[in-house]
Amino acid sequence: MISRYFMLLFIPLFSIDLFADESLEDLMNVESEAKVDIGSRDGAKNYFDAKSAVDVITAQQIEQTGMSSLTNILRYFVAGFNAPNPSISDGSDHVRAFTLRGMSPDQVLVLINGKRLHTSALLHVNGTIGKGSSNVDLDTIAVDAIQRVEVLRDGAASQYGSDAIAGVINIVLKGYGNKNKVIIQGGERQKGQGKRKFISGFISIPLKYDGFINFTVDTIKSDKTQNAGLDRRLTPPVVSTHYGLPKATNYHLLMNAEIPLESGSLLYSNILLNKRASQASAYFRTPDPSRAIFPNGFLPMIHANIMDYSATVGMKGEIFNGIKWDLSQVIGQNSFAFGVTNSMNYDLNSSSPTSFNNGKLVFSQYTTNLDMKKQINDTIALALGAEYRVEKYNIYAGDKASYIDSGSQGFAGFQPANETNSRRENYALYVDTTFNFTPKLSTELAGRYEKYSDFGSTRNIKLAGTYKVTESFRLRTSASTGFRAPSLAQSNYSLTSTYSSGNTIKTKGTFKTTNPIAIKHGARALKPEKSQHLSLGGVYKGENYYFMADYFYTRVNNKVMLSGDIPINIGNITDMRFFTNAIDTKTEGVDLKGVYNYKMDDDKQLDITLWYNYNKNTILQINTPYITQANSLTALDRIENGQPKNSQRLLLNYKTVKYNVTYNFSRFGSYSQVVSGVSQRFDPVMISDAQLSYKITKRTNLSLGGNNIFNTRPNKWKNSGKFKGYNGILPYSNYSPIGFSGAFYYVKATMRF
Amino acid sequence: MVIIRSILIFLLSVNSLFAYQSEDALKVAVMGKIAKYISWPNETSSFTITILDNPFGKKVDIAYKGKKIDGKKIKIIYINNIKDLPQDTKILYIPKKDSYKLTTILQSISSKNILTISDIRGFAQKKGILQLYFLSRKLRLKINLGVAKKNDLQIRSVLLRIVKIVKDES
Repeated sequence: MISRYFMLLFIPLFSIDLFADESLEDLMNVESEAKVDIGSRDGAKNYFDAKSAVDVITAQQIEQTGMSSLTNILRYFVAGFNAPNPSISDGSDHVRAFTLRGMSPDQVLVLINGKRLHTSALLHVNGTIGKGSSNVDLDTIAVDAIQRVEVLRDGAASQYGSDAIAGVINIVLKGYGNKNKVIIQGGERQKGQGKRKFISGFISIPLKYDGFINFTVDTIKSDKTQNAGLDRRLTPPVVSTHYGLPKATNYHLLMNAEIPLESGSLLYSNILLNKRASQASAYFRTPDPSRAIFPNGFLPMIHANIMDYSATVGMKGEIFNGIKWDLSQVIGQNSFAFGVTNSMNYDLNSSSPTSFNNGKLVFSQYTTNLDMKKQINDTIALALGAEYRVEKYNIYAGDKASYIDSGSQGFAGFQPANETNSRRENYALYVDTTFNFTPKLSTELAGRYEKYSDFGSTRNIKLAGTYKVTESFRLRTSASTGFRAPSLAQSNYSLTSTYSSGNTIKTKGTFKTTNPIAIKHGARALKPEKSQHLSLGGVYKGENYYFMADYFYTRVNNKVMLSGDIPINIGNITDMRFFTNAIDTKTEGVDLKGVYNYKMDDDKQLDITLWYNYNKNTILQINTPYITQANSLTALDRIENGQPKNSQRLLLNYKTVKYNVTYNFSRFGSYSQVVSGVSQRFDPVMISDAQLSYKITKRTNLSLGGNNIFNTRPNKWKNSGKFKGYNGILPYSNYSPIGFSGAFYYVKATMRF
Repeated sequence: MVIIRSILIFLLSVNSLFAYQSEDALKVAVMGKIAKYISWPNETSSFTITILDNPFGKKVDIAYKGKKIDGKKIKIIYINNIKDLPQDTKILYIPKKDSYKLTTILQSISSKNILTISDIRGFAQKKGILQLYFLSRKLRLKINLGVAKKNDLQIRSVLLRIVKIVKDES
């Protein structure tokens, strides 16, 4: 019976005659198909024409989430996108690592209006998802400035350069004609925790010839959440530590402008600014009467002061017989300053300060691009381009008291010996050509050459094609090679840090690969990660629905990761580690996605999206003796089992003239984390998000909503442990894909003028 | 099982008007639709729509094959050079890719009573008549009344309620 109904789905419905059937006003109410600019350089494509799997998240959809974090928005919409909320993980509490298809956070390229966005200066070095990587901090972007987010689910390093291994995320900013808008939102979690206030303003100033200058400014103030268990090191046990979302204040300012010139050329620019002050705790330090300060114990607070900016200026136009050109310059910088309060340096004892400046990380990126493309005839399109990029990475030392001897408790400061002023440059040349052999068969061949000043050159190639089996059914495939340049942070980062091991706290040093001690223990200059990709899929579209199925395979050789802890005895450092081209991995899986849109004749519309993602990471080979199952079980298990292998989304949106109701169901498959040498498996988790919006007046909407509305929490640890354990300080795993802070309910007012 | 069956029956039985359409389909549809709101000074036996440097493939032919506007048969002409413009053209579509030669094109057809339509950015301000653009993925129209008047085109007031009127920047 069911199969008969499914058969019906595959019978193309009759075509609607827009000219004959609809009035002009009706036509102006029809939404056009979303298109993406990424994935191919021969013009924007929709989901059907694209040669790789692409997805679009629109501003209207974002507005229905009630979310002010782009990281959360992507987790909401994209199956296979994972972004845990770790806690007591030093800097990783404040910059969310995210992954696509279970791969590393630094294996996703992020673009703003098609231009490369810089990564965070922070290198995740604690035991979180994404350990050993630096990712783009998606939360530096004001969400109300976004017109749409495009997601390319395919390797594309041969088109866009380093990092585009798991996929590419292109954030397109609002352009001409958007209405001015103010959003005021407030909400909290259960028991009054995690209060959040979000105020955002968007203003668009029209310029001649449909030019514009848009400004978005917002502030987000979030209170911490508390999920810590009893500290059984204390008698009697009490909750001593903070475990949950940090207390944070975010300010965003974003400008996006396009100035069309009389000649037909276009001058464009955008500026993104983000300032974030965030604080979270380290572990509680237990009482010790020998300490002159805090003899009754203390909870060190780690502060992150993040400043991020990106500025783009460029010009594009058309010359001769349709040659389109685009010349741009982007500069971007992220700085992450560490501070610690309510702490002390044990060795300084009574003379120790209680507040420390622990140093700063700065990453800067300067990118110059020239792109040219031409549609030569109906069958051939050609794109050529060049890129020149300079990257800088700096570590600045903190106060002497923050690093001397045992250093400030909670987070030892960066020392003068850690300071670095590293720089590299690279240039790239690319060619990308599309050839339509027949009206049914379209192919794309892309090649890219890059030369880096630190590790040399790399050449990559991509071949992709689509075949139109029928007007409604299209097959697509791509095969490519790619790479990821080791980040300057991975090559130049060094620090001494404390961590929990079993029931004790130990000190370890992360050494540069050029450090003589590290070299003595086997460290070598890092090589790029090399990847190979294969995807095969198809898309079927009906009159008001479509279905996509895509298989993907990615092999990564020489993946960079931290070595296992190597026992040494230098000062108070008992273990050392360094970055190395450690392992070869493969990732394979499938994406199945179906979308149904039903527009009723009285301005009502129902949209349904179902999306299933399966991905499996496998370590094929370990290339270094410094990573073994014995000393790196946690890290190796994290790569293979630390993230859900499958996830599902069900998105429902029903709208009328007055109402808009959204329901989102997300399921994340099981995941594992190693504690005390044993891998523990956590059950799948399911959460629901919902929002009801009502149009009070023509210009004002009021919304009520919630994220994780049924207050789902992940499993607690199965083991007993003073730190990680069901009855420990940290009852939940930091790998939890939904965090562990439960439901968030909010009310939101939106005014347009 | 019953739930799945019910959902499928619901999804397949509903009389959906239309889902999302391609931008091209909307542009093509509006070309003919707009004619109902405009009066041309010169009477012709057929209604000629000329497409310069055709960006639509076969979409225009498919949409207008056998159709009529004001009882007149629609004739679709494709040209690659503005010099080949048929005398009886009522609507001329100028694609985005011709933006670099827009001034020349518009000068060559000035005062020929032709409704020019384009999706070129700033088209209406650049002495074109009807500009098509998309806002939040919905088709929007801008009209330059000054240029329309110079071409003796009469615009019905009902159209002016749903389009944005721009000033002639000449």
